[in-house]
Amino acid sequence: MSTETENEHEPLASDTQQVVVPEQYRKSAVPPAMKTIIELKGVTKTFVRGKEPLTVLDGLTLDVHEGAFEALMGPSGSGKSTLLNLIAGLDRPTSGSAKVAGNDLSTMSDGDLARFRSRHIGFIFQAYNLMPVLTALENVELPLLLTKLGSADRKKRAQTALRVVGLEDRMGHYPRQLSGGQEQRVAIARAIVNDPTIIVADEPTGDLDRKAADDILTLLTKLNQEFKKTILMVTHDPAAADRATATRHLNKGKLE
Amino acid sequence: MIPVRYNYRNLVVRKTTTIAAAFGLALVVFVFAAAQMLGNGIKKTLGRSAAPENAIVMRRGSSSEMESGIEESQVNLILAQAAQIGASKKPPGVGEVLVVVLLEKVGTVGGVSNVTVRGVPEDVFAFRSSAKITEGRAAAPGTDEVVVGAGIRGRFKGLELGQSFEIKKNRPVKVVGVFADGGSSFESEVWCDLHTARTAFGREGYVSSVRVRLDAAGKFDAFKALIEQDRQLGLNVQREADYYAKQSEMTADFLTIMGTMIAVLFSIGAMIGATITMNAQVANRQREIGTLRALGFSRSSILTSFLLESTALAFLGGGVGAIASLGLQFVKITMLNAGTWSEIVFSFEPTPAILMRSVFLAGFMGVVGGFLPAIRAARVSPIEAMRA
Ligand SMILES: Nc1ncnc2c1ncn2[C@@H]1O[C@H](COP(=O)(O)OP(=O)(O)O)[C@@H](O)[C@H]1O
Ligand SMILES: [Mg+2]
Repeated sequence: MSTETENEHEPLASDTQQVVVPEQYRKSAVPPAMKTIIELKGVTKTFVRGKEPLTVLDGLTLDVHEGAFEALMGPSGSGKSTLLNLIAGLDRPTSGSAKVAGNDLSTMSDGDLARFRSRHIGFIFQAYNLMPVLTALENVELPLLLTKLGSADRKKRAQTALRVVGLEDRMGHYPRQLSGGQEQRVAIARAIVNDPTIIVADEPTGDLDRKAADDILTLLTKLNQEFKKTILMVTHDPAAADRATATRHLNKGKLE
Repeated sequence: MIPVRYNYRNLVVRKTTTIAAAFGLALVVFVFAAAQMLGNGIKKTLGRSAAPENAIVMRRGSSSEMESGIEESQVNLILAQAAQIGASKKPPGVGEVLVVVLLEKVGTVGGVSNVTVRGVPEDVFAFRSSAKITEGRAAAPGTDEVVVGAGIRGRFKGLELGQSFEIKKNRPVKVVGVFADGGSSFESEVWCDLHTARTAFGREGYVSSVRVRLDAAGKFDAFKALIEQDRQLGLNVQREADYYAKQSEMTADFLTIMGTMIAVLFSIGAMIGATITMNAQVANRQREIGTLRALGFSRSSILTSFLLESTALAFLGGGVGAIASLGLQFVKITMLNAGTWSEIVFSFEPTPAILMRSVFLAGFMGVVGGFLPAIRAARVSPIEAMRA
């Protein structure tokens, strides 16, 4: 379905196991030379529910540099998911411009947005959102079905991604045979298998216990540090936000 | 393209609803196929009674042998005309009397129906060389002995080897043999001595029809022209094949049309069933669909995937229904044929075309039944993936 073929890239390093991120790398500042990859200007999002319009984002501005790992916090209902949806190309702003990875999302068609997501965005959901009838490997392979890769290559890449998240021994398992933390790791493998430009995570640890949550955060840190992935993570958890290189707060439709 | 195993496994995972929906579809296809097999069965059975080079001569204006009457004196004339055109086999033809008797059906309480009794000359087995005595023996000429067709034997009171029945009040005949004729409609008849039949029914000096065996099918037109040119004779000549096609037409078409109509009516129910099943799936899999959309799958690939799933479901049901209907070919049923107003024994006869049509119907129901749910699925927003 995808018309993009320039999706080719180096396979993810296949020999890395569970990583321990050295202390000095944590919270490291974004190098100033890096280019802006997310650029929102005057973004407004208004939902019309019934007759009453609800303005969730109100002239919001945001710049995120390539390689950043940013946390997005804010009260429940403040519009964090709404903002993430706009950045990920799931939705369009009511007004304002949203430029992500060089694409002006506010003017793109549904089909173009789908291709944009396939090419540039890796999704991590709070509820994991794996297909229950597909194995871990098949779930991870899904995004590759939109590329021109042959089945052998797809399988190899999906295996590599599962190795990165430390689940090489669970490839044939179905989601119901995995723990929540393992399911989320499969979802992360699915998010990175296409080598996306940006990873968006909406409360990725929201359904997990502390230990599993920490593993997921360590994994995200590794993706940021080792694989240079730009990560945008919505979270309620201050400990999670701590692992990011920067934290932003959403309040009354604007970022503080 | 969303992998087919995604649909396949979804069908497997929800076994119960899959089986329930497939069962409805199977039933429709079963009824649809059965009706056509029945129509085909009656056509084939009567068709087998015809030989390509045979002609049947009846009184002009008669639509069946039952109505027709030809004077004995004309029989030799007809055979002489046939010999002139070319009818060198022995015998070249037979004059027969056809009557029906009302007999009690075995296995019913007082249920009666018409059975065809054919008064045949001595050399009938030489004339119809495909008919053979399979049990007992041939009837002795000029007696009250009869032979019964393999299809109808035992289905009516007295129609079993060794038994006897009354072709007319106080006129019993004895069954001394059973004959088979390759599944033709003759197997639904009783053959008795020509003279016995005539006297019992007051048809002395008459036959119902004359069958003529020409040397080649191509000689038919000449024979027909020769017989029919003599308006005084008042005779009509048909190919046996045409005659039997006409005999079966009404009943076969009725069965096919009725059955197909019932199946079409059922199919509405089955399609609604498929729609309900698939709609429930779309509702249940809202988040999955949203996730697929978020990952970049297009609306059309979602639409295709769900259409594929409902079509696969339909083919599954349709396949089961079609295979089950094949089991019917071992079932013989007896029914009153509208062409002759007498009982005829025949079976459900499948053809590749009938099976293809049935499977096609299944696919059609799958596509139509799955269409609205598939549209609904395609309209699921990718934002559904994010909804907590
Ligand atoms: N599709 C929508 N239609 C109407 N209202 C919506 C829709 N999506 C979100 N909202 C509303 O927008 C507000 C922000 O929602 P959301 O972005 O999910 O908040 P958060 O993720 O910060 O909890 C909420 O009041 C929510 O009810
Ligand atoms: Mg939210």
